[in-house]
Formats: sequence, structure tokens, C-alpha cells
Amino acid sequence: MNMGRLMRWIPLVLVVVMAVSVASRMRGPAVDADGVDWNAVGSLAVSAEGRTKPLDTFARSALLRMSGRQSLPARGEQPSMTAVQWVMELMAAGDAETQKRAISREVFRIDHPDLRALFGLPESDVHGRRTRYALSELMARLPEMANQVEMAKAVQPKQQDMFQRQVLGLNDRVMLYLAIAQWEAPLAVAPLASGQEWRPLVMTAGPMVGGDASTKAWHSMLESLSAGDGATLTRVAREYGETLRGALPGAARASSNEVVFNRAAPFVNAAAVYVFAAVLALLGLLVTTVSGKSDSAWGGVLRRSGLWMVGLAFLVQTIGLVARVVLQGRPPVTNLYSSAVFIGWACVPLAFMVERMVRVGIGTIVASVIGFSTLIVAHNLGASGDTMEAMQAVLDSNFWLATHVVVVTIGYSATFLAGFLAMAYILLGVFTPALRGDLKKTLPKGIYGVVCFATVMSFFGTVLGGIWADQSWGRFWGWDPKENGAALIVLINLIILHARWGGMIKERGIAVLAVFGNIVTAWSWFGTNMLGVGLHSYGFISSAVFWIVAFDLSMVAVMLVAAVPVRHWRSFREGAVEARVGGAVATAG
Amino acid sequence: MTQISTEADVGSRVSTEEHARARGRFIVMAALHALASLRLTVALLAMSMVLILAGTLAQMHDGVWTVVHEYFRSTHTWIRLRLFVPDSWGVSDRVAILFPGGLTIGVLLFVNLVAAHAVRFKLSAKRVGIIVTHLGVILLLAGEFVTGAFADEGNMSIDEGKSSNFVEDIRTAELAVIDKTDPTSDIVIAIPMAQLHEGATIRHPMLGFEIHVDSWMANSTLAAVTGGMDGDPRLSMGPTADMGIGRNVRARGVARATGVDGSTVDVPSAYVTLMDGDRRLGTMMVSVHLEPEQSFGVGGKSYAMALRFKRTYKPYTLKLIDFKHDLYVGTNRPKNFSSLVRLIDPEHHVDREVLIRMNEPLRYRGDTLYQASFKSDNTGTVLQVVRNPGWLLPYVSCGLVVGGMLFHFGYRSWSKRRGGAVRRGDGMEGTR
Repeated sequence: MNMGRLMRWIPLVLVVVMAVSVASRMRGPAVDADGVDWNAVGSLAVSAEGRTKPLDTFARSALLRMSGRQSLPARGEQPSMTAVQWVMELMAAGDAETQKRAISREVFRIDHPDLRALFGLPESDVHGRRTRYALSELMARLPEMANQVEMAKAVQPKQQDMFQRQVLGLNDRVMLYLAIAQWEAPLAVAPLASGQEWRPLVMTAGPMVGGDASTKAWHSMLESLSAGDGATLTRVAREYGETLRGALPGAARASSNEVVFNRAAPFVNAAAVYVFAAVLALLGLLVTTVSGKSDSAWGGVLRRSGLWMVGLAFLVQTIGLVARVVLQGRPPVTNLYSSAVFIGWACVPLAFMVERMVRVGIGTIVASVIGFSTLIVAHNLGASGDTMEAMQAVLDSNFWLATHVVVVTIGYSATFLAGFLAMAYILLGVFTPALRGDLKKTLPKGIYGVVCFATVMSFFGTVLGGIWADQSWGRFWGWDPKENGAALIVLINLIILHARWGGMIKERGIAVLAVFGNIVTAWSWFGTNMLGVGLHSYGFISSAVFWIVAFDLSMVAVMLVAAVPVRHWRSFREGAVEARVGGAVATAG
Repeated sequence: MTQISTEADVGSRVSTEEHARARGRFIVMAALHALASLRLTVALLAMSMVLILAGTLAQMHDGVWTVVHEYFRSTHTWIRLRLFVPDSWGVSDRVAILFPGGLTIGVLLFVNLVAAHAVRFKLSAKRVGIIVTHLGVILLLAGEFVTGAFADEGNMSIDEGKSSNFVEDIRTAELAVIDKTDPTSDIVIAIPMAQLHEGATIRHPMLGFEIHVDSWMANSTLAAVTGGMDGDPRLSMGPTADMGIGRNVRARGVARATGVDGSTVDVPSAYVTLMDGDRRLGTMMVSVHLEPEQSFGVGGKSYAMALRFKRTYKPYTLKLIDFKHDLYVGTNRPKNFSSLVRLIDPEHHVDREVLIRMNEPLRYRGDTLYQASFKSDNTGTVLQVVRNPGWLLPYVSCGLVVGGMLFHFGYRSWSKRRGGAVRRGDGMEGTR
């Protein structure tokens, strides 16, 4: 009795411990050993890629583009560095000594063997395998790269081969690096007086040094960093921060908030919590199944812990999404990156509703699997740079972003959720005895309900997109790849509904088609973007194609598993007679 | 049924007639049931998925308008296997299957839907949502049909300070031959693109000469002929001209623009030879790339000739006052485009300034004018002018379908919660 009462508290305790650990990781760093307050430096507003942002964001996205990471890990005698430290070091490099140090940081990720061969780069050294290299290692062969770039540029983007794309991609990254080193990026000098625009520091260099407060502050900060005078750097950064707050209060406030957001990394934390949630819920399902009792005490505790943990992850992700909306002043979905974050997020409440029906943790498991994997997808998509970049003119409409884009993305979410629930149904049904009793009916009912919801949302979202197109270029439907992709999602959902209403499919059929829905959704989410392999997508696209094909093949595999006759499914084997009878009258809904 | 029973007592002759009529009715009903089948619905939906996928993939090779024409607004189409496999497999274009086109599938879906409601029509709370939804779907299909049949779109490009009263159809070119002999008025003879194929001979009673089309390039590029032929080796081969600009500039065919390229447009060029009976007058190069007309004289008359996008004249005139193109600071990323224009329509006593921007079109006299593009150096604007009598249908349809679905699914879960009043109540119980 006492034990039971104690067990009731386990989910709460686990969630509180997790929440505290997540929160503790959001704390900002103190002043470092050299007396530099990097937080004050990173919060300074600059302008790049068309928007005002903190230096911290600029540094992180630049480093992310070059090396695929947001900081430099320690390697050999090289200490670890944050992105801001790296960018400041590169900008401050003046004499031969500091320059040599700055260009020896290993920031260029180079995987392609031909590219490595072009530069004669070693695949490993005393510290192990290498994928990242320093500018100092590339320098000798940069003229040769320029030749290769010249030749690659003469080829139409679509005809470029892998090597040419890689060369062009590396060239872009080297250009960005040099732009930072030569003070061309970011636009660091703030428009303190009215009528001014953001300017790069290079325009204020040379004999004209002096200039306004912003220019002076930057020169002073870079000089003191170069001289190893951390105290001055900190003092100037703080003073300049005050100046910015006075002259550009909006931009300055947004900048310091964004630094907090960057450091908190809510999506990375949420991804981690989803993993815990999935493990707990899976264990719960395992214990319940093995014990053979649907009211197994430990099974219940684990299941509830998983549920609470998904709730925590959802909360963290929600905070992150809201923060993005506030920082960017835009609805939640503005690009492929944020669509990935949002798809996973929107799945969670729907999955909770399904969990309320099935009550064995399948909803929790599916929610956390989708939540985790979409955040991983987002993380990889974010590697191309700033994820809050300025919007193209035609997309610059908060109204349509808030309606069409959000609704159609929820449609994607629901279709994915139905597909993943269907995978759970097929895999658990065929290989485990987990789907006992009511579950055989309630889970397909849940899938069916999600498909209904997906139909409404994907149809509404697609038509809203048509209306937006009509508003912006006078064509409700242009049959372009993205529109067609959205239409395919509507159609697969309609097929499921009509086939079931016509009695053509039952539980298993719904599940198979819902899994097929995953392929369709993945196609219209990513596949359509790959048709015209664009200029800005070299690195990402080739690996994305691999992952999409792998995903599609695994979906096909699951559909084939479902081809096992229902009477041989592990879950339904004992009650074969009952299952057949049930199947004959089944119109779950 | 009631009719049969009331008339059945008149006599045996009548009853045989009735029998035949009932049989006829039975056959009609059987056919209607077959047409109303949900199996047909599912088959048609699945076929539209295949068609849409093929039509999407085809845009890697062809322009979107070619695809729309071949796949989505056709009665049938050949779907090539090559679309679904990597190019490197080298599958021939001739490996293809015959497939119903968008028009056929759309009409069948329409018939299927109408038949289903004819057979199963019953007005009840649980059916209202379905009926409203399907009404919306019918409107959506009708809207796409109206667009395909009646919509018209073109581009109007205007330089700053200049006016324009016509739109160009960037998908169709025409060869305009202008008789300029009378200084007070020009006579324009526009030869449609359909007649401009290689080897064609064009005669017109108003023309004092014949036009032979020597070569036709659906998409082309121009290059100047410099002293030697040191430049592009392709320039030294192929047709040449001995009249007009073509003596200095050569046109060469290039691959057609494809649907996934974005905004690229096919720009045609042609080489034509002018013949006065058996006498050869000369060969000219005409191209949509060339803005000015090329003048020449034949038999004392003066002519000008130009290959240009097909023009349609509008009853109103736009004068571009100012074109603005804002970029995000420090980037080449466009933030906004806008055109300040003066709209002049004497017939309707209209003369006012209008600002046309991204997402804020001008709707006037059944046309909608959108900010579409701009000329290089920001010296002029390109407006897209669309005339679509069916533009409102999707708006209505969207409301009906979404409202209907929400009502349907909402009503079902509400009534189920109330105690399972609707047991199998999807509203659309199967035909079996």
C-alpha cells in the first residue's frame, strides 16, 4: 500500500529532475579566465543576411556553415572555443603571430575525398580521423581551387557533378571566412545617427579611423583582444552595449534576448527529453506486455512517466517556438527548418488524444519518436546558416504564413502521425503480443480519427495556398511541384477514407495506406525541393536524398510486413477465431 | 415504384410496356450504381495520384505549360517510364504507358460524385456535411475547368515614364509583318506561332511576298558575329542571314526551359527567307530577343518585321510612374517590389494612380494585375495580367468543403459521444 503511494510520485519526480537539469544548462557563462565577458560581446547587435542579429547568432551560423558545428571543440593543444570567441579572434588578427593562430583553427569541414585530394589534406593525424581543416592548410592550393571554381561555374547548376558542387560550396565558405577576416561581414557598424545604414567595419578602416562611437568601440574591442587585455574588451563591450540600447532600443533588446535563446538551445534540449520519454514509455509497454496484465503497476508508472516526460519536452519545444515567433516577429513556420520543428510539435497534442484512447503508451512513444526525429531533421536543415533569415519578398506576408503555411504544416503533421501510429500497429501486431483485447480496435480507430483530421487540414491548407497564389500572382493552381505535392497528401488521405467507407479496407488496410502516407508526405515535404537541385543546396541535398530513399524503403518494408495474414500476427494469434469474426464486422470508426 | 402500381391495372398490354420500362429503369439504376461505386472513386483518386506524380516529375524535362497541357488538361497522355528512374539508366522515351489525362479523370470523378449522390441522396443531419463538402469539390473541379478553358494570362512590361495598353503571352510568339507604306496608319499582319514550323511557307493576300520558314528555334540565344569565328564554335555552323540585323547577330537553339527552373521562359527565334515569286529577296533572322522591328522594302512598299510574343490589346492604358525594388540591407535578397502606375481608361472616365505590390494586385475590368517581375537595372516593371472568370470559385469551394468536413466529422463525434446514435454513421456507407 505504502509502496503504491510512493510509486505514484515517480513520474513527477522524474520530470522535475529532468526539468531542473534542462534549466541548469540554460545558465549563461560567467566571465572567462582572461576576464572577458563574452556574453556582453556576443549580445552586441550587428546586421547580416538582411536582418539585425546579435554577434553571437552571426558567429554561430557562420561557424555552422563552415564546420557543421556551433562551436570549436578542443583538439590536440587547441582549446575549445565558442563561436563568438572564434569570430572575434579572426577579426582581431593583426600581426603575424595572431594571424597565424587565427588561421590555424580547424573550421572547414571537408568530407569529399576528391576535394581532400585537391588540397592534399590528410585523412587523419595523431589525434585521430579528421574531417575539419584550417585555412592555413588550404592556403597553398587556393589558386587551384579558384581554377576549379571557374570551371564549375561555367556548367549549368543542374549539370554540375558532385565534385563541382562541393568545390562551389567550399568556395562560398572560404569567401565567407575571408569576408569576416577582412571586416566585410558582418555589417558591424551600427546606424547610430538617423539616415545611416548598417556598414561593414572595413569601410571605416584606414586613415579615416576615428569615426563614430560604433566604429571606435569595434576598433577598441579588437585591439584589446589582440593585446590580450580582457578587462578593456569587457568594459568597451558593455559600454557599447549601453550605447546601442540608447540608440537602437528595439534591435538591442531583441539581440540580447536572442543570445539567451541561442544559449538555451530549447530544441536540442527538447530532443534529448523526447529520447527519455520514448525509453520510459517503451519500457512501460514492455512491462505491461510481459506481465500480461493491462493494469501492471510498474507498467503504469513507466507509462505515466513517459507521458509526463513528453509533456515536458513539448513544453520546452513550445517555449522555443514562442521565443522564435517573438524574436522574428513572424508566424512559427517560415522555412524548411522551422517546418520540421513545427511538424513534430503539432504531432504531440494529437498523439496525446490518441493516447487517451489506447492508454498503453503507444501514443506517447509515437509522439516522442516523431518529436525527436523531426528535431534531428531540423538540426540538419539548420546547418545551412541562420534559421531566422529574412523572407523573400513574395513570402513576406504574415497573414498567409500564419494561415496557409501553419494549416498545411499541421496537415503534414497529422499525416505523419497517422503513418507512425500505423507503423506501431503493424510492427507491434505482427511481432509482439502487445495489441491485446480492445487495442486491436481502438488503435485503428485512433489512426482513422487522425486521418480524418489530416484530410481536413491538408485540404484546407492546400486550398489556402491556392488562394494565396491567386492573390500574389493570379493563379489559383499552377500545377507546380510544391502544389502537386500538397495535393498528393490530400489524395492519399481521401483514398484511405473512401476505401474504408466503401468497405474495401479494414484495420490492416488503413494501417498500410497510412504508412504509404508517410512516403507521400516525405515526398511533398522534401522530394519536391530536390527536383530542381538549387544553387543553395549542394551539401544538404545529396545526403538528404540518401535519407529520403532510406526512409521510403523502410516504409515499404513495414508495408510488406503487414502483408502477413492477420491470423499469423503475434498479437492476434491466440484469439484467431475472435479476430476473424471481429474483422468481418469491423468498421472501426 | 409508386407509378408502376397505380398504372398497372389498366391492362396487360400496358403491363408489358411497364415491364419493359421497369427493366429499362433497372438497367439505368444498375449503371448508375456502377458509376456511383466507391471503388470507382478510390480507383480514380489513385489514378490522379499517379498522374500528378508523373506530371511533377515531367517538369524536370519540360516547361510547366507543356506539362499542364499534356498531362492535366488532356484526355489521355503517355507516361514515360524514364521519369521515374535516374537519367543514367538511359531508358528510352518510347517506353511509356497510355494513361487517362486530367480532363478524363476529372470528368469521371465528377460523374462518379453526381451519380453517388443521385443514388444515395437522402437529406439528414448526418448527410448534410458530406453533401456540402462534395458540392464544394464539384465547384473546385469546375473552377479548374473554367480556368483551363477560359482563363487568359499575359505579361505587361512598361518602362518608367512610358505607357502600355497590351499584354504579351510569353508562351506564344507571333511573326508580325507591318506594312508601313501609308505613313498615317500601319497594317499589321500577325502570323501565329502554330504556322511557324520549319519548312512552312506563309502566303497572305495583303503581302506582296511569301515567307519561307528556314528554321525555327523554340528557345534560343543570340550572339554577335565578331570579325573571325573565334568565339562559340556553334556559331560557325547553322543558318545565316543576309538581310537585317541577322548579318551581325546569330541565333542558335538552346534547350527548352523546364518547370523546375523557376521563372525562365522560352525565347524563340527563326530564320525566314522572303520570296517574291521565284525571286529570292533575302534571309532574315527574327527573334523575340530583338526589341526593334527590322525594316525592308519590297516592290515599292516598305515593311517591318518582328518576331514577338503574342499581343492582346486592353481597353485601358497603364503608365508607369515609378518602380521600386527594395533589398534587405547588405544582401541581394528582394524585400519588396512595387509599381506606382497611372490607370487610364477614357471609356469609363478613369484616370487615377494605383500602387501595385507583391501580394497586393490591382483588379480592374475583370483583369487582375500583379507585380510579377522587373527589367534589369530597375528601369521598368513587368506586370502579370490575368483574366479568369472562374477566380472566385475556389474561394467558395474552400468554404464549402472545409465547413462540410468540419460539420460531418464534428457531428459524428458529437452524436457518438451522446450514446452512439450513429453507429455506422460515416454517412457514406459502402455500396456493399
